[in-house]
Amino acid sequence: MIDFGGILSGLQMALSLEGILFVFVGVFVGTFIGLMPGLGPISAIAIMIPMTYNMDPTIALVMMAGVYYGAIFGGSTSSILLNAPGVAGTVATSFDGYPMAQQGKAGKALAIAAIAAFIGGTVSVVFLMLFAPVLSSVAIQFGPPEYFALMLLGLTAIASLSSGSTIKALMSALLGIMIVTIGIDAQTGTVRFTFGSANLLEGIDFLVIALGIFALAEVCALIINRQKTTFNAKTIGSLKITKEDFKEMVGPMSRQSVLGFIIGVLPGAGATIASFIGYTTEKRFAKNPDEFGKGSIKGLTAPETANNAATSGAFVPLLSLGIPGSGTTAVMLGALLVLNVQPGPLLMTENPTLFWGVIMSMYIGNIFLLILNLPLIPYISKILAIPRPMLISLVVVFCIIGVYSISFSIFDLYVLLAFGVIGYLMRMFQFPAAPFILAFILGGMLEQSFRQAMTISGNDVSIFISNPLAATLLALAAVSFLFPLWQSYRNKKKSNQTLSM
Amino acid sequence: MKKLVSVSASSFLTLVMLSACSDNGSEEAASSDQGEWSPTNNLEFVAPAGAGGGWDTTARMAAQAFEEADIVDVGIGVINREGGGGAVGWSYIANQAGDPHYLFAASPPLLLIPLNGQSEYSYEDFTPIANVIADFGAFAVRDDAPWQDLNELFEDMQDESSSITVVGESAPGSMDHVQFVNIAKAAGIDPGSITYVSAQDGSAMTNLLNGSVDVYSTGVTETIEQVRAGEVRVLAVTAEERLEGDTVEDYPTAIEQGIDEVFVNWRGFFGPPEMTEEEIDYYVNAFTELNESPEWAEVRERYSWDEYFMVGDEYEQFLEEQNEEMRQLLEELDLYGESE
Repeated sequence: MIDFGGILSGLQMALSLEGILFVFVGVFVGTFIGLMPGLGPISAIAIMIPMTYNMDPTIALVMMAGVYYGAIFGGSTSSILLNAPGVAGTVATSFDGYPMAQQGKAGKALAIAAIAAFIGGTVSVVFLMLFAPVLSSVAIQFGPPEYFALMLLGLTAIASLSSGSTIKALMSALLGIMIVTIGIDAQTGTVRFTFGSANLLEGIDFLVIALGIFALAEVCALIINRQKTTFNAKTIGSLKITKEDFKEMVGPMSRQSVLGFIIGVLPGAGATIASFIGYTTEKRFAKNPDEFGKGSIKGLTAPETANNAATSGAFVPLLSLGIPGSGTTAVMLGALLVLNVQPGPLLMTENPTLFWGVIMSMYIGNIFLLILNLPLIPYISKILAIPRPMLISLVVVFCIIGVYSISFSIFDLYVLLAFGVIGYLMRMFQFPAAPFILAFILGGMLEQSFRQAMTISGNDVSIFISNPLAATLLALAAVSFLFPLWQSYRNKKKSNQTLSM
Repeated sequence: MKKLVSVSASSFLTLVMLSACSDNGSEEAASSDQGEWSPTNNLEFVAPAGAGGGWDTTARMAAQAFEEADIVDVGIGVINREGGGGAVGWSYIANQAGDPHYLFAASPPLLLIPLNGQSEYSYEDFTPIANVIADFGAFAVRDDAPWQDLNELFEDMQDESSSITVVGESAPGSMDHVQFVNIAKAAGIDPGSITYVSAQDGSAMTNLLNGSVDVYSTGVTETIEQVRAGEVRVLAVTAEERLEGDTVEDYPTAIEQGIDEVFVNWRGFFGPPEMTEEEIDYYVNAFTELNESPEWAEVRERYSWDEYFMVGDEYEQFLEEQNEEMRQLLEELDLYGESE
C-alpha cells in the first residue's frame, strides 16, 4: 500500500526552502568528504551531530543522509584519478576507473561514474519509495545461515576476479581471510593474532588496507618505474559519452540498480559489498570479460551504480524497522535519538513527514549531486596536471591524513605502510589484489555467520540446508563455482577440436 | 555558494584540527600552591568506542551539559578512540598519566574486558572521578514466544534438551552476556549451560525478529520501539524497581518475579593515573554541580537514564564490589583470563 498523503507531506518538506538548502549542504559536504581518501561519511556525520542540535529532526536526517550518499558519490573521483579510494564503497570503482584515467580518458571515466551513480541513486530511491514497507520484512528474513550462504556466493566470484593464474588469485584471497581474523573473536572473545598489541584488538580497518594496497602500492610503482611510464595521463580527454558507450552502460546500470539496492537492504551488507558483487556479476555476464580491469566501461558502471543503489537500500531497515544496517546508519540513529526521535516499526505511521521527507529529499539530493559533479569534472581532473612528484607526495599525505582520521592511531600508519609494501610486492609477482580485498570484506562475515549458525543449531550443519533461502543461495554458490570450470573445460575441448581439424 | 564552501571547508578543518590536537601532549598542569586547581587547557572527554554508542552519548551529553550550564570555563572536546572493546582508549588515557585534562566515560566493560584478559589496564589503573547515571538491561522475546514471564523461560532453560539461545550485541563475557547470566544464575541456571550468540554487526534485533534466536539481552531503550509496535515483549528488566516512562513502566523487574538479583549498567567518568587530590576535588565539584543542573536532568529524562551519583570512597567501594562480583561470574563462565 502506498501512502500518498505521507508521500505528499514528505515532498512538501523536501521542496521547502529549508529542505532544499540542507540537502544541498549535505550532498556538498558529502562530495567533499568523499573526495578525501580515508575520510568517510561516518566521521563526517559524527562531526555534524552537534550542528543538528535544535534542528528539526527531518531536516537533520535529510542533511545527514545527503552526506552519506554524497560521500559515496564523490568517493569515486579519487578512486578514478589517483587509485586512492575516497571511501570503502568506491574501492571497486578504481579497478576500471583508474586504468581509464591512465589511458587519458579521465574526463569520460568521471562522467560515466557520475551518470551511473545518479541512475543507481535515483532508481533505488524509487524502489525505496515503493517497496520499503514490504522489503523490511524480507530484510529480517536473513539470519546467520542465509548470511553465510550469501557470503559464500560472493566469495565464489574470486575466480572471476583473477586475470591470470587462478592459484595466485586463491592465495591472495586466502591472505585476505587470514588478515580478517586478526583481533578479538566475536563469538568467544578470544584474542587472535594480535601478538599482545592493543592496537590490533579491533582488527585492521578495511580502509587502511585498501589505501595501502591500492594507493600506496601505486605510488611505489610510479616512483620505481618512473622511466617506464609512457601513457599520457595528463590529458583528461573529452567528457562526451558516445552512443556506443551509453549502450554499454545501460545493461549494468539497470541490473546493478536492483541488485545493489537489494544488497543494501540487508543489514550488515552495504555499499562496499554491493560494489564488489556488482563488479563481479557484470564481469561474469560480460561478453569480453578480459576487458575488465583494463578500463572497461561496464566495469566502471557496475560498482558505481551498485554502491549508490545500496546507500538508498540501507535506509530500508533504518526507517522502517529502526535497525541500523551499517556503521553510518548507526551513527545517524544515534543522532536521531539526541533529537528525540526513535526510529522503529511505527515511524512511518507516527512520523510520516520524517519518513517520506527523507526519501523524497534523496531525489533532489541526487539531482544536486549530478549538477554539482558533472561541471566540476574539468576542474577536479586538473589534479592530474600537477607535476608527478608533487602529485605523488599529495597522495601520500592524503592517505596518511585519511588513515589517521579513522582511529587517531600512529600504529595504523605503520600498518598502512606495511600494506603499501605488500601491495607493491603482490604487483611485482603478479598476485591480483582484488581477491584479497574481496576475501577481506566477506571473510569476516562468512566466519561469524557460520559460527553463529552453528551455535544456534547446536553444531548441526543441516541448518544450512533445512532452510529454503539458505539452501537456494548455497545452490547458487555451487553453480557459480562450477560454471567457470565447466566453461573452461568446454573451451579447451573446442580448441582441441579446432586443432584436430 | 561561497558561504557553503566555507561551511564545508571549516567542517573539514575541524576534523583535521581535531586529529592534530588529539596528539598534542598537553602542558604540565598548573597547580597553584593554594591547593586549588582548575584546568589550564581545554578538556578532552574520551569515548573509548565509536560514535553513537553508550560511552559516546554519555561523554557528548556531559560535555554539552557542562558547557550549557556554564560549569567549566574551558572548552571540552569529545574524541572517539575505538578499539578492543575499550582497550585502545584506555591505553591512550594511561599514556596521559599525570595530565588531568583527559577524562573518559566508563561503564561495566571497564571491569569486564580486563577480567577477560583483553586489556593490559584495569579500572584500578585509573582515577575514578564520579558516577553519573545508570541504565538497565532488558530481556526481550518475540511477541509470539511461548514464555509469559521470566520464570517460564528459565524453567524451560533448565530442561537439558532445551535449545534456547540468547543473543546480544557484546562479546561473550561482556555486558549483554553477563547481565543475562547474572540474573539466570540467581534463578538457579548453570551459567555454563547458557547458549549465547554474539551479533556485533547490529543484527541482534533482526535475529530475534526472524526467529534465529529466542531471547535478546540488551538495554532498555533498544526495546521500546519494537515493544510499542507489538513485535517483541520484555520479560524482565534488571532494575531494582520499575522504571518510569511510557512503555518501560510496563516492564516487570526480575525481583518482582521472585528472582532477587539486579544488574546495573552504571556510567561514570574516570581520569588518567596519578591525579592529585586538588585535581580530583575540582572534578568532583564540577560533576556534583552537573548532577544538580537542570540541563543534565533534561538529558537524563531524554535518554531515560536513572540518576546514580557517586563520588570518592563510595564510588571506589562500589567498583570494588562490582569487580569482585563480575570476576566470580566470569570464572563460572570460564571466561576469566589473567591480564598480563
